[in-house]
Formats: sequence, structure tokens, C-alpha cells
Amino acid sequence: MSLVGAIGNDVLTLAAEAASTASGSGPGWMAAVPLLPLLASALCGLCLAGRIRSKLPAAIVVLSIAAAFAVTLFGFLGRADGAQVITIFEWIGLSWGSGPGETLSADFGFYMDGLSWLWMLFVTGLGSLIALYASEYMSGDKGYARFFAAFALFVFAMACLVMGDNLVLLYLGWEGVGLCSYLLIGYFYKRPAAVAAAKKAFIVNRIGDLGLAIGVFLTFVTFGTVEYDELFRMIDEGVAANGQPLEELWQTWTIPLLLMVGAFGKSAQLPLYVWLPDAMEGPTPVSALIHAATMVTAGVYLVARMFPLFVYDGVPHYALNTIAWVGTLTALFSATIGMAQFDIKRIMAYSTVSQLGYMFAGLGFLTTTGAAFHVFTHAFFKATLFLCCGAVMHGFAGQLDLRRLSGLIHMKGWLIVSLAMLVGCLNLAGFPLITAGYFSKDMILSQAFTTPDSIVPYSSLMGWILLITAGLTAYYTFRVFFRVFVGPVEYEPGDEVHDHGHDDHDTHDEHGHDHGFHPHAPGWAINTVLAVLAIASFAAIGTYFVDKDHHGWVGGLLHDSSAAYHAPAHEHHAAAPELKHGGVMLTAADDHGHAADEHAASHEAGHDDHGGAHAEAGTLFGQDPHAVMYYVSAAFGIVGIFIAWLLHYAGRKTAAKSKADLLLPFLGPIPTWAQNKWYVDELYDILFRGPLWLISHLFHIIDRLLVDGIVDGVGGIPRALARSLRVGQSGILQNYAVGMAGGLGVLLLIAWILTVAG
Amino acid sequence: MLLVLVLWPILCSLLIAVAPARQARQLALGGSLVVLALTIVAAFMFPWDDGASYHSLGLDAVPFLPSLGVEMSFGVDSVAMWLIILTGFLAPLTVWGSFTAITERVRTYYAWLMALNAAMFGVFVARDIIFFYVSFEFTLVPLFILISLYGSSNRKFAAIKFFLFTFLGSIIALAGLVYVAWKASADIEGWTFQIAALQEAARAMTAREQAIVMLAMMAGFAVKVPLFPVHTWLPLAHTEAPTAGSVILAGVLLKLGTYAIFRFVLPFLPIAVNEYAPFVAVLSIIGIIYAGLICWVQTDVKKLVAYSSVSHLGFCVLGMFALNSVGAAGSVLYMINHGLSTGALFFCIGFMYERYHTRSMEEVGGLASRMPVWSFFMVFFTLASVGLPGLNGFVSEFMCLLGAFQSGASDIGAGGTVGQLGPWYAAIAGTGMIVAAMYLLIMVGKVVFGDLREPAGHGDDHGSLPADLTLREIGVLTPLALGCLILGVYPKPVLDTIEAPVAQVMAQLEVEPETMHAATSHDTIVKFAMQAGGSDND
Repeated sequence: MSLVGAIGNDVLTLAAEAASTASGSGPGWMAAVPLLPLLASALCGLCLAGRIRSKLPAAIVVLSIAAAFAVTLFGFLGRADGAQVITIFEWIGLSWGSGPGETLSADFGFYMDGLSWLWMLFVTGLGSLIALYASEYMSGDKGYARFFAAFALFVFAMACLVMGDNLVLLYLGWEGVGLCSYLLIGYFYKRPAAVAAAKKAFIVNRIGDLGLAIGVFLTFVTFGTVEYDELFRMIDEGVAANGQPLEELWQTWTIPLLLMVGAFGKSAQLPLYVWLPDAMEGPTPVSALIHAATMVTAGVYLVARMFPLFVYDGVPHYALNTIAWVGTLTALFSATIGMAQFDIKRIMAYSTVSQLGYMFAGLGFLTTTGAAFHVFTHAFFKATLFLCCGAVMHGFAGQLDLRRLSGLIHMKGWLIVSLAMLVGCLNLAGFPLITAGYFSKDMILSQAFTTPDSIVPYSSLMGWILLITAGLTAYYTFRVFFRVFVGPVEYEPGDEVHDHGHDDHDTHDEHGHDHGFHPHAPGWAINTVLAVLAIASFAAIGTYFVDKDHHGWVGGLLHDSSAAYHAPAHEHHAAAPELKHGGVMLTAADDHGHAADEHAASHEAGHDDHGGAHAEAGTLFGQDPHAVMYYVSAAFGIVGIFIAWLLHYAGRKTAAKSKADLLLPFLGPIPTWAQNKWYVDELYDILFRGPLWLISHLFHIIDRLLVDGIVDGVGGIPRALARSLRVGQSGILQNYAVGMAGGLGVLLLIAWILTVAG
Repeated sequence: MLLVLVLWPILCSLLIAVAPARQARQLALGGSLVVLALTIVAAFMFPWDDGASYHSLGLDAVPFLPSLGVEMSFGVDSVAMWLIILTGFLAPLTVWGSFTAITERVRTYYAWLMALNAAMFGVFVARDIIFFYVSFEFTLVPLFILISLYGSSNRKFAAIKFFLFTFLGSIIALAGLVYVAWKASADIEGWTFQIAALQEAARAMTAREQAIVMLAMMAGFAVKVPLFPVHTWLPLAHTEAPTAGSVILAGVLLKLGTYAIFRFVLPFLPIAVNEYAPFVAVLSIIGIIYAGLICWVQTDVKKLVAYSSVSHLGFCVLGMFALNSVGAAGSVLYMINHGLSTGALFFCIGFMYERYHTRSMEEVGGLASRMPVWSFFMVFFTLASVGLPGLNGFVSEFMCLLGAFQSGASDIGAGGTVGQLGPWYAAIAGTGMIVAAMYLLIMVGKVVFGDLREPAGHGDDHGSLPADLTLREIGVLTPLALGCLILGVYPKPVLDTIEAPVAQVMAQLEVEPETMHAATSHDTIVKFAMQAGGSDND
């Protein structure tokens, strides 16, 4: 068969596969979800090449992502129960035997279950809204088409990450979103800070990616496959590909640890969080979509996706416990930094890191529903917050310093922005009852007190840390709101350098900075998107009240996914007490005491079923944490908001000064340290970058002097010889002759060694 | 057919040498397009279903010295065929890409460029050692001339160093090959140099003989790859070579080393290979990290890419010495992928050099605003080189690392295979991925992004060239970019067709456990190594 034959055959099988999958396990047209944005990206590339300066790229991208959303929604509404596997074409395939584990196969295919549906719905939904926002925000920028090409490519990569049916395709998406993040952070490529931030993001992510890659390798070696379908089946059966029971394998707890490293990189957790705050150098729509709502939640997705392995019973749960602690400490740590920043976009960045910490803590406490619900609500309200910051930045020539802006709500044209900001702040602060952020955060917090210490040691200590962090969050969130959006009207424009989105500002020159600056209030696209997002942030509460059986719509979706994996029933109950807990927690974890009695009952029932370890379930103030947490977390949130009001609103006369300044003398150097991000970047420089830089230079010198020197010294002999025989073309022949003679000598030497020594 | 593939470039070369200088460019381009066409015809004739056996696609052999048993015999398997396709694909691009760079002594230039193609084809089609070795060595001559006549300031030194270094190495390899031929001819009258016969003989050798022959062969082939610590000729040669020379050097010539290891070292010397695989792997890993870190502190962008080749080929050799299918297939794929992406990077740098006459990242930078099209290609090929999934570098890098991870890990799980490496090798080599991101993105950050920096007094004068790429230059880079994209998204045709020959080599690597560690006396080898090292220095 000729080459073309081979390729032709591939095409045929490809078509056959597509046809068979269309009628089989899932609809082949779901391929449109990643492919539409990819096509849009290519078209934007053409616009770029054709130097099209109109808004065409934005229109293409908004429409394609919206279409992808429509396809997702259509597929979602018509989905079958359980997971659907859709194979599009064979990507990497190699076989070296027919036994288990002797074929490496990674297809371009999708694994659609509740988890992937949930993620795809908000990725494409938010993606189209934010693209619409960006169509106005980025207008007039020279790189308009470039921006939208990378934007659409991001949606493609994110779809691969989320929908992929195997870990290698997930890795493709994982690195792909990293690339788009790199390209978009460095979008303003003339600014050194942006270029450095982009580089930092990519490199720090690569550290996590190495963990992920090794995790994938180890998964393949252990299970002989990287495809979820197979993997979950084997984990369910409890045996590895070579027939060994998983309890006996060290890989069973090592693989989660490795995947966790990848998740920490992408989701900006300690110690790999340093790239995310710097990523704010990118245009604000990018910060909203990639660095707040979607990409950074990929780590949560990964853990939830591979949850069956994380909770696998009979092996130590090092990964889960690490995740709980790292999440908790990240939440606290970045909240303290956020409290001391003055750049409102940076504050939002640190709050994202902090909220991601909550999500990881939730995963660690075994409430995947809580984590995913928080991802979902956070996606909306954090996107709202960022887009509001973007509108401010857009309107005030890049001004983001909360000491130089005040009373925006009283200015003409800024009402919608201010109200949307209020909605976002209330959600982030967890204002009780009316915000979705309150319910999702509660789910995680109460779980901290419910999870018995036998599964997650010190979980109630972590719960208290997270509660205090919730108070801090409420404080720094409303510090922004009270300083910038209410109070006396006062503003100072930023310098043009910081004016994101306007390389050439000719069209806005009528503002005339010399004779008084006039803020540039947002237009219809930005206002519409903000209004929709603000409403959506509120409406997200509704999802909490539907599907009572699974504690909300999100819970229902997760129940139908790998994240709701129930440990298999073992015969030996006594031998595996943790398993039972794992199993119980997963069902109980999502309980959130609306009907507290019912839940308590189901709790008890659960425990009774499994040998009655009731006493172990945690309590808070002697009550069911699910019921009490409503009041406790509400109290922390409201106290935080109140302190912010007291320090930053009450009696404030100017933008620059507030009562908080009175506290400064009592705090010593701490605010400065926190403002300087606790010098973590500097520490990393000293610990890693510096030594590595020295080693590199050392290697360079070694390479030049030592290795090269010896070779040159040695090479000098025949060179001198060659020179004496005249360099040039005749010299080559001479060299050849010399070399031949040398070669003969070596040959004789070998023969001699073999005869004498042998 | 294969003979035509070798003879046609020689014919072109002669034709260019005698034709008027004005026509040299056109003749070379036409000739190289015919080379490409011939490659495509050969690819169509090749029976891909039977990729593991050798096919001559016509004439089998030409008697050369019948009395000595020497004949030129031809045959390619699918691995060689893919490398021939790579060579044929690059041939017209290197000619086309040199149009403005080479303005003097054009006849000599294009004649030797064509001759180089013939030599490279010779290496891939040879089925006897003499033909192979002559072609292998003959590649040095054209490149020596290209570097020494058309290179930059330090070209003479670089050319001589390149020549001597690789030449001395391959002479030692020849010694090893001749020793095997001597063994193979023991029972027959006259000599045989047929690779198949030599393979039989080599496999029958004792463990100690195999170890010594492996040392000899690796001395030659490792220099060509180049493997740490015999890599130091490469950065210099690359930096000084003209663009097309660098492209061919990175694209195909380095692969002659890895190809020779795949063709001779692995199937000839299974006992020694199994024994010393960890040693070679450690050298590869040192090379990956060492060269990668050196890249990090380079200021010369061409030298940076040259060092990155050392780092990248470390992955390639690592995958090969994983001694399992995934690693070896990844390694073969790596040869093709590296040829495309690094070759393309050298083109990009060459195009920049033609405009600015400097390669220093201190002097030139922020070109995105001056040369957007060029910047696009530069970023694209950098990302391919970084191993970004979706582009070609990823699949092969992933497979090389996975191969190293699986190797010898059969006690860990069913996905483990035979082999002498293990998870730690992959984990440590994997840090090379981080280092690669560091140096390549820093390069892009300096050269493409940031404020525009141009050499003093440069102004808007780019010589005869416009600020950004010409259509010709875009035409050179676009096929390479498409190649990177296609092999990244759909590597299946390559993987499917190399599966059989890779499986065959892997089967040949299986040795009885007791033969290993048996007769090898380390003392002898060390002694020999010192002597060989000494004679290398002569």
C-alpha cells in the first residue's frame, strides 16, 4: 500500500469512526464545540494577515463562541445518563504487543459527563459574553485581530482540556491554555512588565506541568491506559492492569500527588501562585475569562476528574490532605496580601488566588460539589468584578489606584458599573442569603467541620482559618467598593502608558488631558455584559434550590460524573473503615442543611449503615455544622463588611485618606510587608533563580574553556599539520589522508587489544 | 529508484558547476525541486505495509569491487524512507532560502549544496557498510566548504574544528564497523560488507567484543548527534555556518548520528546496548540540562538555538536507549520533528541576520513591531521547539520521556516494559522541559517582544530587503510551519508506518539475561577507553 493509500485509509476509518460514534455512544457533532473557536481563531489569523482593521474579528469570535455555547447547551439538554464517550479521530497510537498495557492510545475524543458539561457550559457561556465585552474594550487597538485569535484559541484549548477523554488530550488543552495565557498576558508586548509576566506565567506553569506529565506517565504504566473510561472501570474494580489490587500499590497514592502538583501550578496555589497576580498585565477581559473564571479552575477540574483515585480507599490520602492544607493556607495567605494592595485589579487577582484556595480546600474536605459550585458561582461574580475593574481602567485612562478614585456611583454613566460591582462584591464577601457566593462558600466551610479528623486531620482547624479568611475577604472586597465606588466624587486619570486597550488614542484626544480629564463612561456592549453577568451572579443562587436530592443543580451534575465517584462496596467493612467514610462523606458532604433535620437523619442513616461512626462526624458549637454555618459565616462576612465601612467609608472626605491610615502606626512594618507580597518573589529569586543563573554561567564557562579548550588544544596538532600542508581545498584531502592513517592506527590498536587481552 | 535519488543531485551539482554563474540559482532550485519530486515518487513506490523490510524500489545493487565482495547495495525501510522524505522536503527550501544570502561564488555554493543532498541520501539508502561510510563521511566535505567559504567571521576555525572533530569520531566508528566486517568474513572467501551479514556476525560476538565495538561506534555517532560531552563543535559550526548550512546541519546531518545508532548500534550489539543503556542515558540527560542551562545565558541567538539542538537531541537519544517501542518510535519521530522546527528556527534567524548583520540579542530586539510576519513565524517555531502540544515537538518529546519512564518499569505495572532505565530518568530529563521553556521564551521575549532595538546606524536600511519578510521567505517558512502543525495534530501516518521496523529492532534487542553482565570485564573497557581517548587526541 502506498503512502497515499495509508493516509486515505486513515481518512476512511476516520469517517467510519465518526459515523459510528454519531449513532453510538455520543453525538459526533459535539466536535463543533472545540472546532468552532479554532476556526474562528484561524479566521482572525487571516484578518491579521489581511490587515483588516474593522470589528470583523470580534464578530467572528463572539458568534463562534456563542455557537459553541448553543451546541453545548443543545448537547447538554439531550444528554444521556452517565458518561458519553465520543471519539473523533485517533491522535497518538502505538502498539508493541496485545497484552494489557502494551498499546499507547490517545484519541482526539470527548468524555462528557456532568463535570465536563458543567465546565463547558460556563466556559462557552462566559466566553461569549466576555468576547462581546472585549469587542468594545479592545476597540481601536492595533492588535485587535491578534487579541481575538488568541482569545478564540483559548476557548478551543479549554474545550480540549475539559472535554478530552484521556489524560494526554487533557495535557494538550492544559498546555494550550497556558500558551494562550502566555500570548494574552504578553499582549502589550512593548511593555517589559507584560513580557516578563507572560514568561513567568508560562515557566511557573511548566513546573506544575512536569508533575502532571509524570503523573500521566505513572498512570499509563500502572493502568496501561490514559483513557478515563478504562481508568475509571479499573479503579472501580480495584485492580491495576497487571492484576495487582490497587490497595497494595504505592502508585495509588503517588499518582494523585503528582497530578496535584500540576493542579497547583495551573490554579495558582502555594507555592506556585506567584504567576497569577503578575498575569494582570494582560488586558482585563483576559484577566476575567482566563485568570479568574475558567483557566485557573482547571486544577479543580483535574482533581475532580480524577477524584476516584484521590479518594481510593485503603491507601493513605496524602494528596487530599495536602490539597486541603495548601488550599486553606493559600486562601489565608493571599487574602492578607490582598488587604494591603492599592491596585484594585491586583486585589481582585489575589482574591482569585484566595478563592481558588477555598475550592481546593473543598476538594480536600471531600465536597466536590462544594468546590464545583464555588467554581461556578465564582466564575460569574469574579468575571463581573474584573470586568468592572476593566471598565474603570478603560474610563480613567488606566487608573486603578483606590487612593485616586472615589464616588464613581455618583458620576454620569457609571451607575451600571457601580451596581454590578456591588453585586460582585456582595458575592465575594459572602453576604448572607441573597448571594450565590454565600451558599457556595458555606458548603465548603461547613464541610470543614463535618469531615471527621480520621479522614482529614485538623479539618476543623482549617475550617476556622477559612472562616477568618472569609472575614478578611469581606473586608478587602468592600474596602475597594467603599473607597472607589461610593463616597465623595474625586478622580485622577492614570498615565497613558497604563491605558490598556488603547495603543493609539487619537480618537479619544478630545478628552484633552491638559485641560481637564473627562472619564470615558462605558458603552452599550460593556454595560450589557455587566448587567447580564450581575444578574447571572444573582441567578446562580437559583441553581442551589433546584434538584434538592443532590444539593443543587451543580450537585446533580456532579453526581452524574467521576467527581461523585462512590468507593466500591467491599466485603471487609472492618478492614476498610476509611472507605466507608469516604463513601459517606461524598454523599453527606453535599448535604447542606436546608432541611437540617432531613439531612441529619440521612447522616445518621448513612453512618448506621456503615458501622456507626457517628461520634466522629464533626460539630460546630455542638450543632450540625450545616445548619450553624449559615449564621457563623454570615456573621464573619458582615463583620468584615462593617469594618471596611468603618475604616474606609465612614467620614471619609477625600479619595486618598481614610480612617484606616490611623491604624498604620500600630501595625509597624506589617502592612508594608504585606504590600510587598511578603517578599515571596524576592525569596524565589534568591533560592532558585539566582543559583540557577550562577550554575548556568558556570556551565557556559566550563563549556567554553574546559571542554572546548581541550578539544582545541588537541585539534591544534593536526590543524598545525594541515596548515603546513596549506589550508584550503587541498588541505581537506591531506586531512583525509592523515585521518585515514589515524583510523588505521585505531583499527590496529583494537585488533591488538583483542588478541593480547582476549 | 534509490540510485536515481543519489545520482540526480550529483548530476545537478556537476551541471551547476559548469553552467554560467547567472543560471546557478535557477538550476539549483529546479534541480532541488526534482529532488523533491523524486522523493515523492519514491514515497509512492514504497510499500508502507511492509515497512520493516528493506526495499530497493528497483535496482538492488551495483557491483563495485566484486573481487573483494564489495558492492553498492540499496534498500530502505520506513524509518529511512521518512528521513529521505525529510531530506527531500528540505532540499528546495534550503536552495530557495539562500537566494539573497549568497551573492558571491554562487556556483560553488549551490553545487556543494546539491552534493550534500546526494551524500545524505546515500547514508539513508545504503545497505552495505562501505557505501554507508563513504556517504556518511562525504557529508563533511560539502559542509566544510559551505562553512569555510560562506560562513561568518570565525568560519575557518569553525569549519576545521567541525571537520576534525566529526571526522576523527567517525574513523573510530569505521574501525568498529570494519572489525565486525572482519568477523563476518571469517568463514567466507574474500569480504562481505553487507549490513545484514554484519548484523549476524555482530550479534554472535561475545559481550566484551560488543562492548568495545559499541564504544567505537558510539565514539563516531555520538559526536555527530552530538551527545554531551562531545558536542562542542556544534555551537561553533552552527554559529558560523551560512543559513542553509545550519538548516541542513540541524535538519538532517545531526540525524545521521541518531539514525546510525538506530541502524547499527541497537540491532548489532544487543548485549552491550542493554548493559550500557543507563550510561548513555545519563549522558543524554546531562546534555539536556547542561546545554539547556547554557542556552539560558546566551546572547547570540543562533548559538542559543544551536545549544538547544544539543539539549533536544538528548531527548532523542534518551528515547532510543529506553529500548522499548514508545521510546524508539518517539526518537524516530523526534528526528523528523526536530529537523522541521529547528531547521525553521535557523531560517528565521538567518532572515533576521540578512537584515541586521548581527545575531546578538543585546543589539536587536522587539522586532514584533518592525517585522510582524517574521515574528509570527519565530514565535510559532519556538513554540514547536518548546514542545507545545498540538505542534510536532510535543508528541515525540512526550513519547521519548514516556519510553524512558516505562523502561525497566515492568515490575511497577503492566504499562512498564523491558529496558534499563526507569521513572527517575524520565523525571530528571523532564526538567529539561522547564529549562526549554525558560530559554526559548526568554529568547522570544528579547528578540520579538519588548521595545524595538536595532543596531546603531541601521536606520531603515535593510540592504535590498524590505523590513519584513518577502514572499519568497514566507514561501520557505510556510511549508515548514504546515509540517509542524500536521505532524502535531496527526502524527498517525508516521507512527503507524514506523511501528513495524521499531518493533523489529526491539525484538532484536532482547537478550538472554545470563549473557549480560557475563563476559564484560570493566577493567578492559576502561583501559581501552583511555587508549581510545588517547588516540582520538592524535
